[in-house]
Amino acid sequence: MVTTVAETAGTAAVNGEHPLVRLESIRRHFPVFRGNLLRRRTGTVKAVDGISISIMPGETYSLVGESGCGKTTTSRLLLMADQPTEGNIYFDDRPMNQFSGAERRNFKASVQAVFQDPWSSLNPRMRVDQIVSEPLITHQRLSRSAVRAQVQELLQVVGLHPFHAERYPHEFSGGQRQRIAIARALSTRPKLIVLDEPVSALDVSIRAQILNLLKELQSTYELSYLLIAHNLATVRYMSHMVGVMYLGKIVEEAPPIELFTNAQHPYTRALISASLPAHPRRQREEIVLAGEVPSPLNPPTGCTFHPRCPFVMERCSLDIPVLTEYTPGHSTACHLYNEGDANTC
Amino acid sequence: MTEDAILRVQDLQTHFFTRTGVVKAVDGISFELKRGETLGIVGESGSGKSMTAWSILGMVPHPGRIVGGSINYLGENLLEKSRGEMRDIRGSGICMVMQDPLTSLNPVFTVGDQLVETLRVEYNEPRRSLRDRAIRLLENVRIPAAEDRLTNFPHQMSGGMRQRVVGAISIARAPNLLIADEPTTSLDATIQLQYLRLLKDIQEQTGAAIIFITHDFGIVARMCDRVAVMYAGRIVEQSDVEDMFDRPAHPYTEALLESVPDLDTDVDMLPSIVGQPPSLDALPEGCSFAPRCPHAWDRCQVYPLEFTVAPGHVSRCWRVE
Ligand SMILES: Nc1ncnc2c1ncn2[C@@H]1O[C@H](COP(=O)(O)OP(=O)(O)O)[C@@H](O)[C@H]1O
Ligand SMILES: Nc1ncnc2c1ncn2[C@@H]1O[C@H](COP(=O)(O)OP(=O)(O)O)[C@@H](O)[C@H]1O
Ligand code: SF4
Ligand SMILES: [Mg+2]
Ligand SMILES: [Mg+2]
Repeated sequence: MVTTVAETAGTAAVNGEHPLVRLESIRRHFPVFRGNLLRRRTGTVKAVDGISISIMPGETYSLVGESGCGKTTTSRLLLMADQPTEGNIYFDDRPMNQFSGAERRNFKASVQAVFQDPWSSLNPRMRVDQIVSEPLITHQRLSRSAVRAQVQELLQVVGLHPFHAERYPHEFSGGQRQRIAIARALSTRPKLIVLDEPVSALDVSIRAQILNLLKELQSTYELSYLLIAHNLATVRYMSHMVGVMYLGKIVEEAPPIELFTNAQHPYTRALISASLPAHPRRQREEIVLAGEVPSPLNPPTGCTFHPRCPFVMERCSLDIPVLTEYTPGHSTACHLYNEGDANTC
Repeated sequence: MTEDAILRVQDLQTHFFTRTGVVKAVDGISFELKRGETLGIVGESGSGKSMTAWSILGMVPHPGRIVGGSINYLGENLLEKSRGEMRDIRGSGICMVMQDPLTSLNPVFTVGDQLVETLRVEYNEPRRSLRDRAIRLLENVRIPAAEDRLTNFPHQMSGGMRQRVVGAISIARAPNLLIADEPTTSLDATIQLQYLRLLKDIQEQTGAAIIFITHDFGIVARMCDRVAVMYAGRIVEQSDVEDMFDRPAHPYTEALLESVPDLDTDVDMLPSIVGQPPSLDALPEGCSFAPRCPHAWDRCQVYPLEFTVAPGHVSRCWRVE
């Protein structure tokens, strides 16, 4: 029997828990214009094109895929920095498009972000205590001493010293700056933090420190993470669920061990084959893909991966494959695995 | 110098003379490279990898200067060459592989013209046969419909295709040594794989040695025969690749290898390295890794000598004395 993921309740059904956040059939299409004076609409970039994911309380959901596949756009929707063209986002089962003013404020405090580049994400003119307490002050009315006490506590939680509060970002190394960004994100007691490539700009020898800190914070505060990362080994280390994106769509979804030992989708398999070995005697099967990711302005027909796919078949350029549960908790959108359904869109 | 070595760097010192003092970017490093061999130089940012490369190319930027040591290339000391001689060597013998292919291609000439011009330096042949060579070169770097591509301008090609054209031009120069300085850092995984394969293709067809500079041990594991680990301007460990991964003999290498997550195994918590990478203007006396080293003791206040762990495997750590 073949069920599509939209029909089942995703991972929630598996562990009987409710997702903290659920994205349902989300699309974000950007109109593209030509000309300055007489602007004409000449096309649509389907940055996010119908994805459904569930982020469970206390868990990490990771999005992987090459640049331009829609990861940041997805995270911006989650942060309410942007709105979906279609579909809905549910927070504790409440649809975002029906939020009251209070719900909206509560949501904004509950979802924070840490970005890749700790050099540009911290305001160089603000002191660390101002940086860390800024979200706190916008979301709560607190006395000065209460703010100071909270800043001290937050700095300690992320492994910095109380005296760091009076310094400016340029006095810190990359790793310490990322700790400051994490303290800032924690200040509103969030339930979910978006981590967009949180360690890839850092020196190799301090990446493990930051990853471990994030893991510890997750278990202490039952945080959920939406992790965006291109390094698959990091994703395996951090995640409970992984979604592989290609041109705005999730093409495969599974828990990390299942995904990395039993990948089905040819794109996932190519990504794994391209990830670097941890030992010279452990070389991987080489699946070298032809060409580059095509422009989302003019995506290929059928399966958007078909021009690069080493296993392409005739129907791949005609039919759009539907994300289908392959084994419980593991879904993939590829015609190699669902010969039965004939979904022509 | 061993028989088949094409490059031998000995006790190289490249310092920067800044207003606030002398920065020892490269502080006495030595290594050797055989024909067709790939050496990985790994280290964190600021450890001196790029300055090592620029020193070999004779292009150390101001206010930097090579203040000691020697760089022996095919039996001659490059430090004694004139500017003009160095320019010739960079044109054919030693090439830097650029990450951004746009900067190394001329936008106003077709790909075919650029290849033919490069080939003309190497081969004294009529245009027609140079053109045939150019087609074969493009085929060698896996460019489909190579003949049709000759009339393309760089901007008419995708980024990946341009990268291959640059690769083809590198092959045309028949280099002895290619230096690739973090060429894939900003590339996506599948594109990185294409690029690494391209470098291997170039190497197979020219027999060139490669110095691959990176901060990623995964690249070393995939690409290199030998590896030198740099920390604060010095090579702290050097060996054959397999030996380094099997038996790292410097606490820094050991800790770094352990701290990187592995796609094939599960761990609850990664062992991490304490502290921050050092700043070159405030280095400790003795071993520069000592402030972060779990094994440091009194002895480490003195700069460690280079000890041999196994044939071809050396480490600057008092523990292996
Ligand atoms: N505001 C925008 N207007 C038009 N196109 C956009 C906009 N934001 C993103 N895109 C396009 O959407 C696609 C997905 O981008 P993004 O979400 O940033 O991908 P990723 O984070 O995976 O690299 C890209 O092709 C990008 O150019
Ligand atoms: N223009 C410069 N002025 C002063 N110091 C410099 C300059 N360029 C590089 N350095 C010093 O040289 C060191 C090594 O630099 P580099 O070789 O570029 O490191 P890597 O390539 O390993 O990141 C740096 O830590 C820096 O202190
Ligand atoms: S010399 Fe000493 S400090 Fe340096 S790495 Fe070895 S044990 Fe550690
Ligand atoms: Mg992005
Ligand atoms: Mg460098």
